[in-house]
Amino acid sequence: MSNYQPSLDRLAQLARERPGLLAGPLHLYQEQEGLDDEQLAAILKCDVAAIPRLALCGRPRTTHFREDVERIARYIQADMLQLAMVIRAAESREALGQSAEGASPTLLAARDYDEDDEDE
Amino acid sequence: MKATAEEYAFHQRICARDDPIAFAQLAEQLYSPLVQDVYKRAGYSHPLDPALVEEAVGRALLDYRDQPQRYDPQRMSLHGYLAMAAFRDYQNAQARESRIMNRQVSLFDLSVQEQDFAEVWNLFDEGFNVDDIWKFIDETFPDSVERQMVELIINRERSIEPYARLLRLDGLSDDERQGQVQQVKYRIAKRLRRQIRRRFLS
Repeated sequence: MSNYQPSLDRLAQLARERPGLLAGPLHLYQEQEGLDDEQLAAILKCDVAAIPRLALCGRPRTTHFREDVERIARYIQADMLQLAMVIRAAESREALGQSAEGASPTLLAARDYDEDDEDE
Repeated sequence: MKATAEEYAFHQRICARDDPIAFAQLAEQLYSPLVQDVYKRAGYSHPLDPALVEEAVGRALLDYRDQPQRYDPQRMSLHGYLAMAAFRDYQNAQARESRIMNRQVSLFDLSVQEQDFAEVWNLFDEGFNVDDIWKFIDETFPDSVERQMVELIINRERSIEPYARLLRLDGLSDDERQGQVQQVKYRIAKRLRRQIRRRFLS
């Protein structure tokens, strides 16, 4: 125990199951995009050590999205616009995943197509 | 002892549900001291499972975030409240694990464990990228004691002693030490198998 330093990583992992926090959608986003913490930190222009802290932040309220994202971005010292984009994408994927659970493969393919179109 | 002024302020922010960084800041401040505290309460001499301690502290913090109204800042400090909840959770988890392990350890021997670790040895033998494997191990075992246990296992260390030293099992008899080492190795094997299948073999 003398050389044992707990990190927030494990807490951030546990937090994925809690719907009010960013941990769940961020994890899904990272999995789907194939991003590790370092790559996500590079996108957000923040330190990699900030990623578990980001995961422990509450989801921005829809009515105060910009204000909340600004506050989170200041806290983890990340780029606000990049963070907003990642949170939006992560939450969309999560919503899509939830609604797709009962959907047919054809519908899923159509959704993928739409999503790709939007990116262009 | 009542909540400190700082704890009270955190509590207000968590209850208000309008501050997206309140919980992260609270966790940043309390997580590590709470883990240390639960270790102390559980007693350093016991063969503690760091993962169980951290999970108990994590659950206590997350449960508090979900239902902050259960905590009364007039009655005790937030740290004390969370430490108590985490310790209780840890004790329950430990008792549950022990019951399961006692049944399992009596059923399996070292040769079964060798088989259990074959999957991780195979990763190295089958040409997977070594850096990827170590990265996977670092991620799967964020706790340094567990990680060192895995390193010993990967190096095919068969003697009980190095494992017992890592787990600080000095005060126990040989049989007890062997049993405790087996339990932890078994738990590690379980987690390794699950994660290897998910990451490399799916």
